[in-house]
Amino acid sequence: MSGLVIEFQFGLSWSGLSKFAGNVFGAPVALETLVAFFAESTFLGMWIFGWGRLSKGVHVTLIWLVTVTAYASAYWIMVANGFLQHPVGYEVRDGRAYLTDFGALLGNPNAVIAVGHIAAAALLTGGLFVAGISAFHLVRRAAERDFFSRSLRLGVMTAALVSFPVYVVGAMQYPVLGETQPMKLAALGPAEGTTALATQLAQQYGPGDYVPPAWIAHAQNTMLYLGYLMFIVAAVAALLVYRAWLRRHVPVAILVVAAVAYPVGEFVGGLIYGEAGPNAWLIYALCLVGLGALVLVSDHLMHWRRGAYLMVAMIPVPFVASIGGWLFREGGRQPWIVYGELAVRDALSPVSTASMVFSLVAFLAVLLTLMVVNWVLIVRFVRRGPAGTQLGASPAPLAKQPVPTF
Amino acid sequence: MEIAWLALLGFLLTGYFVLGGYDYGVQMLSIVLARDERDRRRVLGTVGPFFLGNEVWLVAFAGVLFGAFPFFEGTLLAGMYPLIVVLLVALVVGNAAVQLRSRWDTPSSRRFWDRLVAAGGAAPAVVWGVLIGVLLHGVPLGGAGSFVLPWSTVLDPFVVACAVSSVALFAAHGATFLVLRSSGALAQRATATARPLLIAAAVAVVLTAGVAFGVGSAAPVTNPTVAVLVVAVLVTALVLARLSLDRNRRGPAFIASCVAAALPVSLVGAAQYPYLLVSTEGPRFGLTVAQGAADAATLVLLAGFGVVLVPVVLAYQAWSWWLFRGRVDDRVPAYY
Repeated sequence: MSGLVIEFQFGLSWSGLSKFAGNVFGAPVALETLVAFFAESTFLGMWIFGWGRLSKGVHVTLIWLVTVTAYASAYWIMVANGFLQHPVGYEVRDGRAYLTDFGALLGNPNAVIAVGHIAAAALLTGGLFVAGISAFHLVRRAAERDFFSRSLRLGVMTAALVSFPVYVVGAMQYPVLGETQPMKLAALGPAEGTTALATQLAQQYGPGDYVPPAWIAHAQNTMLYLGYLMFIVAAVAALLVYRAWLRRHVPVAILVVAAVAYPVGEFVGGLIYGEAGPNAWLIYALCLVGLGALVLVSDHLMHWRRGAYLMVAMIPVPFVASIGGWLFREGGRQPWIVYGELAVRDALSPVSTASMVFSLVAFLAVLLTLMVVNWVLIVRFVRRGPAGTQLGASPAPLAKQPVPTF
Repeated sequence: MEIAWLALLGFLLTGYFVLGGYDYGVQMLSIVLARDERDRRRVLGTVGPFFLGNEVWLVAFAGVLFGAFPFFEGTLLAGMYPLIVVLLVALVVGNAAVQLRSRWDTPSSRRFWDRLVAAGGAAPAVVWGVLIGVLLHGVPLGGAGSFVLPWSTVLDPFVVACAVSSVALFAAHGATFLVLRSSGALAQRATATARPLLIAAAVAVVLTAGVAFGVGSAAPVTNPTVAVLVVAVLVTALVLARLSLDRNRRGPAFIASCVAAALPVSLVGAAQYPYLLVSTEGPRFGLTVAQGAADAATLVLLAGFGVVLVPVVLAYQAWSWWLFRGRVDDRVPAYY
């Protein structure tokens, strides 16, 4: 539902953006609606109402189509956002941007690498969500033990597999930033770095404040340290959940533990010292021994209830980390709406401040209320377990439909 | 090339008026027609499988508006600011209410959501009526290429009449859809409601046209003959829908009401062509299709995608209509 608001938001509050960059920026936005949004909503509606009506194959295909179109959506939106971060494939004539190279727009490193990072982060979020809820049901001894054991394995494995790529692909963006948005990187460091750059930018674009807000460093650090934490928890949980299999395959177990110990050590060091600096080798060695021991003598840990609740507590972490990353990416490019071409204040619609404040308050109130309602509902559905889902439930209690399960 | 894109833009908005139109009609009628909780779930069940897919026509319209007509989009949305904000808030709230009403089991919470469901149908109908009215009436677009909508325009008798017609039209369209999709006593009540509503909508449209001729307009309609023709077809469609219902022919009645719901879009497009926005400040300030459209290179590029994507979109939407074509009764699963 917020997608509808965003679609209108460009012209509504930022008509200067339409007028300057509409020829270029509008194309990926339009294509996102036609390629992805349309299909996603149609297929989701069919999936919800298709329980017991469509064949199983068609029904499951529908939810996969919803998933695929969601990722397609992410790509097109990041192409649009990538243009705002680092405009490419265009030329400016008479104060208006014209599209000259569509391929450059689609291959913009600021978009492509970010899509990889976001896709991995989305999978990590999903993995930890499924793992947390499964752990919650297992520790409360829900009737569907097999069901939740399987979903716990799926969630933990997904989280463990993607939590390192999230970090690696995310880190790949920093060299690109160094070339395209040096100010964003400079704002993370001491003030001297930004002063020199600000002077340079003022010469290039005229006088103005080119230093992004200082809080972006906190946003970045929140994302980074929570990222470390998620990798460590996911790796430990995966070794625990798959310990029986690993004991049967000793060579694989040795390789996995050795491979995992290095990044775990790196991140443990990062969490302790900010950088994996002093005592690095000691930390690696301790991690190697600790993880190895975990696989060998950890059976009682599986019955440790607080361990299960730790997985539940991890559920909000990826969301907070994502918000941190988003604030860093968008806050760090201030004062630009199109980097180096159009400042945010010049893109503002000719609308009175009162109208602007009114609409901001109205949208915030509605969307925040819906967010809370959504959380309450998610928690309720989670507590109810797989048998309590209402999807496709028949209004007449007598006409029994087959009870759907996820 | 911009003519082709104007046609696609019009097509998407028309699709939204037809499909979203019956959603809003059904939402408005849901508290009137349903006697109990089971009725209400069945009323919402008629739009159920299509509800999410219908709204996307508006999202696609907004996307194409931005991609193909960015210079129109910025001026239009910023100028109509308060109306668009009300529309979006109403759509989000109405959409949420439909999806959330059955998630709580207490009667008081259901009553609360049901009122929001109805309001979420009525408010968009009003706002779209006002928007159509304002576009036909003309906006104070000056040399700066932007405008601020004055309240006097919103309260202009012609614009108010458009809003009333729009509510009547969507309600009648929703009722005709309910006749097609519901069954039993509910279908009978829907028929009894649809018949007077169709005539009321026809009368409202005729009166609105009368106001336009009587009061006159600040910016004269560019193609008055076409405008009168479109209005005549619209009224005829409503009357035909009523006549079909009298003969108990539900399919033709719904097709006729679809035509009626679609025509306000053609009216705005055809009556003011070649303008997208007519200015009350004088014809030279109006925004033409060519001025509002994106650069030719962008349009050609988008056309390559459009030729492939639009048939695909139509195909899976049609598949969804075909799958859920039957009448809704107690055996059909409900979710809303």
